[in-house]
Amino acid sequence: MLRIHDLALDAPDGGPLLSGLRLHVPAGGNLLLEGPSGCGKSRLLKVIAGTERPRSGTVAIGGEAIWPGRGAFTLAGRVRVGLAFARGGLLANLSLHDNVALPLRFQGVPAGQVEHRVGEALDSFGLAAMAGLRPHAVSDGVRRFANLARVLALAPSLVLLDEPLGGLEPRDGAMVLALLQHWAADPGCTLVLAMDGTHSLVLPEVRRFQLAASSHAQEPL
Amino acid sequence: MAWLARLGTPVRGFLEFLGDQAHLVVRTLLAGLALRLNQLEVVGAQTRLQIRFTGLDALWLVTGTALLLGAVTLIQAFTQLSGLGAESYIGVLMVLIILRELGPLLTAVLVIGRSSTAIAAELGSMQLNDEVDALAAHGVNPYQYLLVPRWAGVLVSLFVLVVFFDTTALAGGFLVARLKYGISFGYFMDSVRQSLSNRDFLATLVKVALFSGAITFHAAHFGLRIRRSQTEIPQAVTRTVVTALLAVFLLDGLVAALLYS
Repeated sequence: MLRIHDLALDAPDGGPLLSGLRLHVPAGGNLLLEGPSGCGKSRLLKVIAGTERPRSGTVAIGGEAIWPGRGAFTLAGRVRVGLAFARGGLLANLSLHDNVALPLRFQGVPAGQVEHRVGEALDSFGLAAMAGLRPHAVSDGVRRFANLARVLALAPSLVLLDEPLGGLEPRDGAMVLALLQHWAADPGCTLVLAMDGTHSLVLPEVRRFQLAASSHAQEPL
Repeated sequence: MAWLARLGTPVRGFLEFLGDQAHLVVRTLLAGLALRLNQLEVVGAQTRLQIRFTGLDALWLVTGTALLLGAVTLIQAFTQLSGLGAESYIGVLMVLIILRELGPLLTAVLVIGRSSTAIAAELGSMQLNDEVDALAAHGVNPYQYLLVPRWAGVLVSLFVLVVFFDTTALAGGFLVARLKYGISFGYFMDSVRQSLSNRDFLATLVKVALFSGAITFHAAHFGLRIRRSQTEIPQAVTRTVVTALLAVFLLDGLVAALLYS
């Protein structure tokens, strides 16, 4: 599903952040990217999602090269990707409901199905009562849930999550963990997580990959 | 060689800017043509929002400015013309000054002040909040969802505002002509009508199309380049205003040179 070869990323100051990164995650596989803050985990997720261009190297999703190439535009809906950010990512001028519904509407999913899938996704996080609120009117935790609900409603074949457990209350964390376990166990879903290692995570058949700042990273075999 | 290097940097920056503008225009046009029927509802809703903000919300500002401009222009023009015994040329001057030049130009300046700044700030804020990345990652083409509606909204709004500006300015001019100089509506309008040509309508349409592109894509260029911090937003807004004003004045001169010289 995901193949990365000799990837190099620059830090915001222009210096090298990652180089020589090689990764391969088969369809249905689970990968946990670990590393300290600032080592490039979030940016690597954006590169995989096709929204940030790496300095060099190749990234292919479902056999299609997105880098070098047109990034997310290459996939054009052929491979559904879900990306949940640690913070941000929700459109400020749309309600939580419309944020979750927008990708589905844009992909041409029939209106009835959109409502059903959005309702179900929001319900699974207890957000039904807040569906009409905009992101600025809710807490960080609710925004995190709405980000995850958007991914859930999309039913993607590649799920990319940035710090999914960071800053959550234990009860909310358990809810998110259950969702992660659901995605990890789904053979039709490839899961890539980025975490700083402060949360212990128990997932079935998850492969861990350590990223270090300014490191020459290689896939452990 | 040092002076050559100093000269080269801004030239390269300017050429990069032009290249990015061309890239944005082409990508947005292609994205607009590639819109599917089922996406029109989503994009249409965004376009309506842009029209409401750029067009409807600016009507009072445009009305006030146009009325005052029309009245002042008529007073100044009539005073000069009556001194020469050429009052019948009042329509020619109103058409020359307002319909040909100041109507489209001042409307564009007002839209730059209100909407171009807002678009740059909004897109910049969306970049910082990872909203643009989220759209692209989830299969929502940002050119289709963000730029097509803004360009279409500014284009429609600018056209309506220019027509509104011209009409209101003429009304302001007529009001003064009637109250101060006792000129009849028929005389005033005949004078205006005789001075108008199809070329004036064509020039207005060309200007609206060019100005709307300059307003939208300058804002998009500077807004979408914001990457790191909130402090970049006011800088992007300032650059948008300065360069969009410059572009609009240059384009206005270009259209005048091509169509009227």
